[in-house]
Amino acid sequence: MNGLESFGQDPWWLVGLKALAIFVILVLLTLFSIWYERKVVAWMQVRPGPNRNGPFGLLQSLADGLKLAFKEDLVPKAADKIVFLLAPMISTVCAFTAFAVIPFGPVVSVFGVETPLQLTDLPVAVLLVLATSALGVYGIVLGGWSSGSTYSLLGSLRAAAQVISYEIAMGLSIVAVFLTAGSLSTSQIVAAQQGGQEVTLFGTSFTIPGWYALLLLPSFIVFAISVVGETNRAPFDLPEAESELVGGFHTEYSSLKFALFFLAEYINMVTVSAMATTLFLGGWQAPFPASWWPGANEGWWPVLWFFLKVLILLFGFVWLRGTLPRFRYDQFMRLGWKVLVPANLLWIVVLAAVRAGTQQPEWSAQWVGMIGGAFLLVLLVIWFWPGRKKYEQATEPDTGLGGFPVPPLDLQVPPSPRVKRLTAEREPVSVSAGDDATAEGKEG
Amino acid sequence: MELYGPIVVLFAIALAFAIISVVGARLAGPRRFNRAKNEAYECGIEPTPTGPGGGKFPIKFYLTAMLFIVFDIEIIFLYPWAVAFDSLGLFGFVEMVLFIATVFIAYTYVWRRGGLDWD
Amino acid sequence: MTTMVSADTLDISFPEVDYLALAPLLIVFGAACVGILLEAFLPRTRRYSAQLVLSVVGLVAALVTIVMNVGEDRPAFAMSDGSRVDAIVIDGPGLFLMGAIVAMGVIAVLLIAERRVSAGGAFVAHAAVAADSKADAAQARHPGATEVFPLTMFAIGGMMLFCVAGDLLTMFIALEAFSLPLYLLCGLARRRRLLSQEAAMKYFLLGAFASAFFIYGVALLYGYAGSVQLVDINAAIAASGNSQVLLLSGLAMLAVGLLFKAAAVPFHVWTPDVYTGAPTPVTALMAACTKVAAIGGLLRVFNVAFGNSGNPGGPSLAWDWRPILIAIAIATMVIGAILAVTQTDIKRLLAYSSIANAGYLLVGVIALGQALGATLFYLVAYGFTVLAAFAVVTLVRDSQGEATHLSRWAGLAKRSPRFAVIFTLLMLAFAGIPLTSGFAAKFAVFSSALEAGQTSLVIVGVLSSVILAFPYLKVVVLLWLSQPVEDAPAVSMPGFMTGTAVTVGVVFTVLLGLAPQVLLNIVDGAGQFLAK
Repeated sequence: MNGLESFGQDPWWLVGLKALAIFVILVLLTLFSIWYERKVVAWMQVRPGPNRNGPFGLLQSLADGLKLAFKEDLVPKAADKIVFLLAPMISTVCAFTAFAVIPFGPVVSVFGVETPLQLTDLPVAVLLVLATSALGVYGIVLGGWSSGSTYSLLGSLRAAAQVISYEIAMGLSIVAVFLTAGSLSTSQIVAAQQGGQEVTLFGTSFTIPGWYALLLLPSFIVFAISVVGETNRAPFDLPEAESELVGGFHTEYSSLKFALFFLAEYINMVTVSAMATTLFLGGWQAPFPASWWPGANEGWWPVLWFFLKVLILLFGFVWLRGTLPRFRYDQFMRLGWKVLVPANLLWIVVLAAVRAGTQQPEWSAQWVGMIGGAFLLVLLVIWFWPGRKKYEQATEPDTGLGGFPVPPLDLQVPPSPRVKRLTAEREPVSVSAGDDATAEGKEG
Repeated sequence: MELYGPIVVLFAIALAFAIISVVGARLAGPRRFNRAKNEAYECGIEPTPTGPGGGKFPIKFYLTAMLFIVFDIEIIFLYPWAVAFDSLGLFGFVEMVLFIATVFIAYTYVWRRGGLDWD
Repeated sequence: MTTMVSADTLDISFPEVDYLALAPLLIVFGAACVGILLEAFLPRTRRYSAQLVLSVVGLVAALVTIVMNVGEDRPAFAMSDGSRVDAIVIDGPGLFLMGAIVAMGVIAVLLIAERRVSAGGAFVAHAAVAADSKADAAQARHPGATEVFPLTMFAIGGMMLFCVAGDLLTMFIALEAFSLPLYLLCGLARRRRLLSQEAAMKYFLLGAFASAFFIYGVALLYGYAGSVQLVDINAAIAASGNSQVLLLSGLAMLAVGLLFKAAAVPFHVWTPDVYTGAPTPVTALMAACTKVAAIGGLLRVFNVAFGNSGNPGGPSLAWDWRPILIAIAIATMVIGAILAVTQTDIKRLLAYSSIANAGYLLVGVIALGQALGATLFYLVAYGFTVLAAFAVVTLVRDSQGEATHLSRWAGLAKRSPRFAVIFTLLMLAFAGIPLTSGFAAKFAVFSSALEAGQTSLVIVGVLSSVILAFPYLKVVVLLWLSQPVEDAPAVSMPGFMTGTAVTVGVVFTVLLGLAPQVLLNIVDGAGQFLAK
């Protein structure tokens, strides 16, 4: 009835096997993508990158992870102990669970059982992904809040505001996909992208490929931008802006608890890449040249296409990080609320109008398309029309040396009232250098 | 229901992994506490005390949260509409345009009043 | 597209919309939405006049469409397959209630718009600024928020919808639509900011509880009847096959939500504080329009769903809820009247009088269909009088703003006899002295309650109105016979708008007292709620 008959038929051992496989794949993929990111960024910066552990330094992330396990597990005095412990677990569990509905491939035979290469599918599968990503924010917020530290709190608040802002943009961008596919189930969305559609426009007929990234380009662009914000990745990595907030929400975390946050971040990256693949890039279906080969969409081959697409998207994430500087927070929120949200709503209305128009037999599709396109064009022109406000040259600040702003010469710094108390109370602390676990991993 | 069972299995595996990690690190790692290690990190100076429950933070965050709820509800209404769009026809389209326009009115008000600006 | 999916097989039928029936609601809500856009795009200096014109024109247009609807009882939506959608039901009493709310809403909007009596009007720009802070002192120098107009329009629209909602979910949405703006409006008073914020907070918290009760009751009734439509619930009761526990507990919760808005004892505790703390024009709006909406909702729910109007002679649930509602009505009348005696603040006094009046209105609700016309009459008579009374309260001012303590009112007749006469007339109307609207209204309700056999209620009602006459007469005595205090407050000259409000209120008070038959004919012509 609802097209999900092939799901929910697996024997229990197969369910366990699939779940375990997804778990292992995600952990391996995380280890791999940390290495991948460091290596790619390194090459972009003309450095060798990690090359000591294993071939091409492939085992570097594993070594880092193992090292983290043997680091001291600190819990700050001011922390809310239980929440502090729970937060990384929430993040991790939510990140893993989202993958339950991602389709890796078509129906294959596993030890003689015909089963789809997907843990399960629901009539509302995409909602599950959205729900887990929304719940994952709790891990970040609670982690920052429970640390009892100002940096952590600010980082977590920023993270919460950022993630919910971009969740709106993301949620709106996939409405177009549901509208076109007529379903919320991931396997059916993939199936809906099968093959092209013959369209006759101005007398010539041609085939529009089925991928929603082409069909619904504006949606895909918005989705791509907003998932970067949603996953707290550069250039939107404001919650952990190390130049402002030390480590953001995970400043106080160490050892494997820190590793769990790290793991969650990379799994989220993989998840949104997989979502983008599923919703916009045809899922596990073979890409263009390979699609001429008839066997490409059968058996285990689709798993290859799927992971190829995911890795390309992951490369995009790394590329962004390697090239773009971090946004300022106000610019970031402006982009989310003032550009992505209204543009999205507009696009949904236009798309729905075209679709509703094509359903009416008396209206010709091309007229609807042309009117809709003209409407969209006018709106875009209005949108991007240069504002009246001219750029104003900033008035020159008080420049002292070589044009750089300098503090006045007679600047008096009042002595901190805490200085005396501090020097009296503090006992000497010996911290061995180079042990700072929070600095690991991100450096490459 | 059998569609939802596998999710629970994956959830359980992930939870077990998380618990093992947290407990394992506790057991495997060294324990050499001192006062400075137990304090919140603040560039080496004495940490600023935070108020109860994290203290006060800017009202902007509440505003963002409220806006989020408004738009999240709009999205929740949009999803079923989008899925059933083909059977709703022109009527469903007009209704949803009216709904989006209504939310958009509130949105323009918030925009004009600076509710979307971060200073 | 190679799609699939059950969506193609969905069989969805669409309702035929009767736009004339919806017109009053659409106009009011539309005006509110346009008001928000004006607020967003007009320069600050031109907002006030534009908003005022928009609100008044919108309400008058709504009133015109209400009159155009008179005569034909029907639901606003009709399904093509003949199934019933009762989301909005246009019938005689519903139209009358909507008309009353709109008419009184115009007066309330005029009071809200008044900026002559105190500089900048009765409102401040930001409700959330901490009271007595620097920012609060700064905003006292600026004109108040013009957002009060769209907020008021939303509140009025919600109240109208509340009176014509034929299913409980629409009713709940209407309840929220008029509650939320009112919570906010309560917190915007220009003077005594802390009291105002406290009032808003109290009203919000208690109102949220009441809403929760209401929606819980809706859920239980849905469990009982399998539908949220009032007529279906009535039919389910007539069939009387299901568990009475769900029905009775659902009804109880629903009634709590409704009685809270009507300010019936024991759900009245918010009333004195909120009436005192809210800006007086908003208090007037609440006392007049919200009362109509709450009682209108009660009337519709009890007449259509829980009365036996749908199946005369059949089994009736009235035997179950009537004793409890009678107890509530008696408590409301008696406690409202007794506590009014002890009050020393005119706004609190009017608040307790509003509670007691809720009791008299409940008498009309209990008597069901027989007292429907009388209850509608009472709502209008009380509404216009209370609007005029609060309008006068806004005029009595000293350097601290409105002088609401009764001791400050002593001997006011010597300095401004004209207003003393007007206020005395209003007080006499509240007390139910013959030849005023108050007398006609009480007489109508009590006589139809007697016809319906509620003798005990009527006796308590008459006794309590004797008690309630005392505080009103005390104010009259204070006005005329006491010596004026030092630095007594002055009665400001009303601007055009407050003047209109007072005049209309007084005219209605006298007119309905001298010739009640005019309005009684109208309410009798309105007939009964559509309940088939």
